[in-house]
Amino acid sequence: MLSLIKIISVLSSLVLILASNLEHDGSATIRLQHSLTLDRNQQWVERGNISIYSLRLGQAVVKQNPLTPQEQKQLQDLAVSNKLYQVRSVVTTDEGSERSFISTVKACMLAESELDDRLSVSLDYTGRIIAVSLVVASKSTCEGAFVPLDKLKEFTTSVYVRQAETGPIPDTATFIQKLEREREAKEKGETKDNRSFFAKYWMYIVPLLIFMAISSASNPDAPQAQ
Amino acid sequence: MKMTPQIVFGVQIILFLCTHYSSALYEDQVGKFDWKRSFIGKVKHAQIENKKIISVTHENVLASINLKDGKLSWRQLLEDPTEYEIKLLHIDRDIYTISSSLDNWILRSWDISTGSLLTEKNVIIEKTHSSEYSVTNGILHHVVPFAESHLEVTSYYLLTGDSTGPTNKISAPWIADVSDCLLTKTYYVCISRGISTYDYYSGQIYYRDIISRNGFVMIKPIHTLLGEGLGTVEMRTFNADVPGFLLVLNNVAKLVLIEKDILVAKSMDNIQSAVGIKNEDKLVLYKLEASDNPDKLIRVVGMDYLSGSNLRSVDIDYPIGLGTPRIMAISIKGSITDLLLTTTDDAVLFVRLPEGKILWTREEALSAIVATEFVELPVSELDASIENEFKTSSSDIVSMFTHRLTSQAKQLSNFILGSQLLSNSGLVRDEFGLHKLIVAATRAGKVFALDTLTGSIAWSYRMPNVKPIKMLGEEKMILFMQRSARYLPLPAQCLLLAEDSNSGNTVLFQFDPITGYSQKGVERLNYKIAQAMLLPHEDETNTKAVLVLSSTNQVYIYPSSSEPLVKKSISKTYLYLVNTQSSTLRGFNFHHTDPDFSLTPAWDVNLKGSKIVALSTRHPNERVHSQGRVLPDRSVYYKYVNPNLVAVATLSDDPLHKNVLSIYLIDGVTGLVLYATSHKRAKGPVHLVHSENWLVYSYFNERFRRTEVVSAELYEGHILSNSSVFSSHAVSLLPHVQTQSYILPATPSKLAVTLTEKGITNKFLLLGLTNGAVVELPWLFFQPRFNDIPCGPEESCMPYMPEVPLPSEAVINYNQSIGRIKGIEVAPARLESTSHILVHGLDIFYTRVAPSKTFDVLKEDFDYMVIVLVLSGLILASYVTKYLAGKKTVKQLWK
Repeated sequence: MLSLIKIISVLSSLVLILASNLEHDGSATIRLQHSLTLDRNQQWVERGNISIYSLRLGQAVVKQNPLTPQEQKQLQDLAVSNKLYQVRSVVTTDEGSERSFISTVKACMLAESELDDRLSVSLDYTGRIIAVSLVVASKSTCEGAFVPLDKLKEFTTSVYVRQAETGPIPDTATFIQKLEREREAKEKGETKDNRSFFAKYWMYIVPLLIFMAISSASNPDAPQAQ
Repeated sequence: MKMTPQIVFGVQIILFLCTHYSSALYEDQVGKFDWKRSFIGKVKHAQIENKKIISVTHENVLASINLKDGKLSWRQLLEDPTEYEIKLLHIDRDIYTISSSLDNWILRSWDISTGSLLTEKNVIIEKTHSSEYSVTNGILHHVVPFAESHLEVTSYYLLTGDSTGPTNKISAPWIADVSDCLLTKTYYVCISRGISTYDYYSGQIYYRDIISRNGFVMIKPIHTLLGEGLGTVEMRTFNADVPGFLLVLNNVAKLVLIEKDILVAKSMDNIQSAVGIKNEDKLVLYKLEASDNPDKLIRVVGMDYLSGSNLRSVDIDYPIGLGTPRIMAISIKGSITDLLLTTTDDAVLFVRLPEGKILWTREEALSAIVATEFVELPVSELDASIENEFKTSSSDIVSMFTHRLTSQAKQLSNFILGSQLLSNSGLVRDEFGLHKLIVAATRAGKVFALDTLTGSIAWSYRMPNVKPIKMLGEEKMILFMQRSARYLPLPAQCLLLAEDSNSGNTVLFQFDPITGYSQKGVERLNYKIAQAMLLPHEDETNTKAVLVLSSTNQVYIYPSSSEPLVKKSISKTYLYLVNTQSSTLRGFNFHHTDPDFSLTPAWDVNLKGSKIVALSTRHPNERVHSQGRVLPDRSVYYKYVNPNLVAVATLSDDPLHKNVLSIYLIDGVTGLVLYATSHKRAKGPVHLVHSENWLVYSYFNERFRRTEVVSAELYEGHILSNSSVFSSHAVSLLPHVQTQSYILPATPSKLAVTLTEKGITNKFLLLGLTNGAVVELPWLFFQPRFNDIPCGPEESCMPYMPEVPLPSEAVINYNQSIGRIKGIEVAPARLESTSHILVHGLDIFYTRVAPSKTFDVLKEDFDYMVIVLVLSGLILASYVTKYLAGKKTVKQLWK
């Protein structure tokens, strides 16, 4: 599990390095609410607040309330009965606009990870938040799981701000350079063949060897027969 | 300097031709397994002229149809029907057409025998306004009416296209509403309604000759023509050579002709759809009536205008499957009268009187296909009886034995007596699955089944008052294969979902795709559809249930008998809705609370500020054979294969970059955005194709003014995170995305990818181009190259070229251009190497492609004789040598 987390954090740091294509930096606050009851009628309970100071750098401060004993029991029940755990994120940007997103994970996976989850905040090319998804890093899913209550206390949430990449464009420059190089090489004369003698002429040597081997194999018999 | 890139480029093309296209189609293979059927669309105007039918259609096609067999002699595609409309067809030695758009109209003349364009004149209209055209004595009149103001009349010589004089402005304050007016020859006629719509009594008819400069408007009260009565009065055009129109009150029409500036009204029976023609200076009317002869549905009646007497009345053998007919064109030559009929389901019929025989029928509905499905045929009865032999439920030895004996006796008799017990229609499955039926639903609401071998129509079914559903700017119907023909004796079953053309509610049509038989016919439901999906589980009758979500989030299951089964698995079913108005995607999961199903929102993606233009998912039947890509160092780079992935393309207006194209890859179960990318100054049309672990999309780059294609490939990396079952919930690491961009030297109108049974065969991309060609290119061309890994033939990697080559050998429809490609449908054959391809648009083209060549079939010219001779020779030789060797050893022992 640790190695996986590491991989994700490495990826996220990669994202951070690439994070220069946003034109305007911005900040946002996310109010997290979750629903611990049956998944029919959600009752949203405050879970915590996340402030992203810089969408460009993806720096976030996570403040979350520890679960009350009653909430822990509810979460345990959800996990045992293989139900879904839902999170609503109300995003307020620095411009004041508000958007809310729902995200769903399997409760047992959240419990098995001991409330270690990740929040993926996806941006479009202008830096608008288009989706907030809750993810539990795991290699496999579960079909209901019992997790002791003392392991369901506090959320450890990492926030990943994921920006839209800039799409690739046809790479004509290097192709033309390559053609140029090939032309120059041609003008200078044949390209120097730096392969070994055997690599160059193996197709002549191998049949010769086979032929010799066959003739030497049949020759020793001949005197004996006579 | 300028030459070199071209030379090297040429060399590279030759190189890849050698490697990939050594087998294009040979000349003698043309038409062997492919076929094309050409259509023109719903006929708008037509004229019978000199053994030809010249017609223009709603698809903006001008065509000449051979009178004898109904085949197209020539066809000309004019402008896009969403922008232009053909307003006029006039034949006078040459053909003249007028195509008009909002801000210009084009007068063209065409050669009647070859269809080649002779002259073209483009007239720009300053004010965007509806206008009308008519031709008299070689002069074209262009009339622009302005309500409650005036008429602008401009005349042109038809031959040269030059105007005869300045625009004539005629004061016409009497035009109340342009839709209540019409132009018949040189008369502009309007009706004014009374105070209320039902009160025609005080209404007047205003008409004016538009070419007489000092003419004046003439007024006639409507009630003097119609007499007493109540109801709405409507004016309809009368298709004849003389100025006139039809006045319709309460579905009873009266023919009004304008004779020397005087309105002459004549009442005749049932002439709402009558057509007039001058025969020997006498006006003759032709109309269609329902026949009272039970065997023949339609009667053609010809009437003399002056006397009002019936000239002839002929019952015609009208086929049951067609819609209500209407007379489109008439020609009279001596005693022979030819009629061209069109029907409500867009078919065109040619009837010759006095015999009343239908000489040919053209199913023009096939010019607009909105849903297709390739259907596997049932096994022959012989095969079915063999299968039945092992399908006994009883375990009693005696009964099993008798069952086997009887079935084998039956098989023997079948075998001896020949094929009359095989399926009569010849619709029998072949060994390689190359013979299939294509079920195609059309925009006109008619369902067809086409035979893949010949392209002939196996059956058709007309659904009255049905229209397609609008999805992302495209008209579509939803077609699901609930049960294939594999489960004899149960018939195959398909389900088609469409909209009612009046109420907009859902229409459901369940049918057997092999015979076209429908038990319940067209069912009209009382809700609007929001989403529909085929559930993967089969019930005890091997039927897959279809789940339909109404616009009020109600869940319906078809067939309702499989509801208990669906309830068991519904908690693992996920669904998403795309709202193009608010640009949002919303995921749902189900759970059932008896007795209903309910939906809870599970995720949202909000793309507000941009417009969703394209969406693509993987083909549901696609199989991924190879888990990863083998790198030159023998390590495996695993593919990220997520069956729930949805690719979404959006366009947004940007003050800085004009249009920005964004592509998102979203997991359809969790709503996690796996990948997002953007292209600035990009314009539509955007085409997406998503398969295995990759996505290809095309768009127009405004900055460089060229079409670009981008491929993106998703990899998990060197470790396979989940080798057994994929789950969208288990996200261990985000996929690594590899991208590459190319220039496409053509404009695509549709992208698709080949599909094979097991997914072992290489994938080829199919590009439908606007020039009517469909090009197949190996995915290898588009596959993103790794920067740090050498690329060459040893790694089976093509060196990167910025421009995608489009060799003419790769065009799968060789010289048969397909008009206005709208869709490319792909289905696997039972041979792993082969895919079925159906390209539809204005035309239908079917072919088979083998991306990795037919590695699993012997060549057609395979020499069986040589193999038999060699084998028997070898066997003989081995026996002879054995005998000789035995003899030799015996001899040696005796020595």
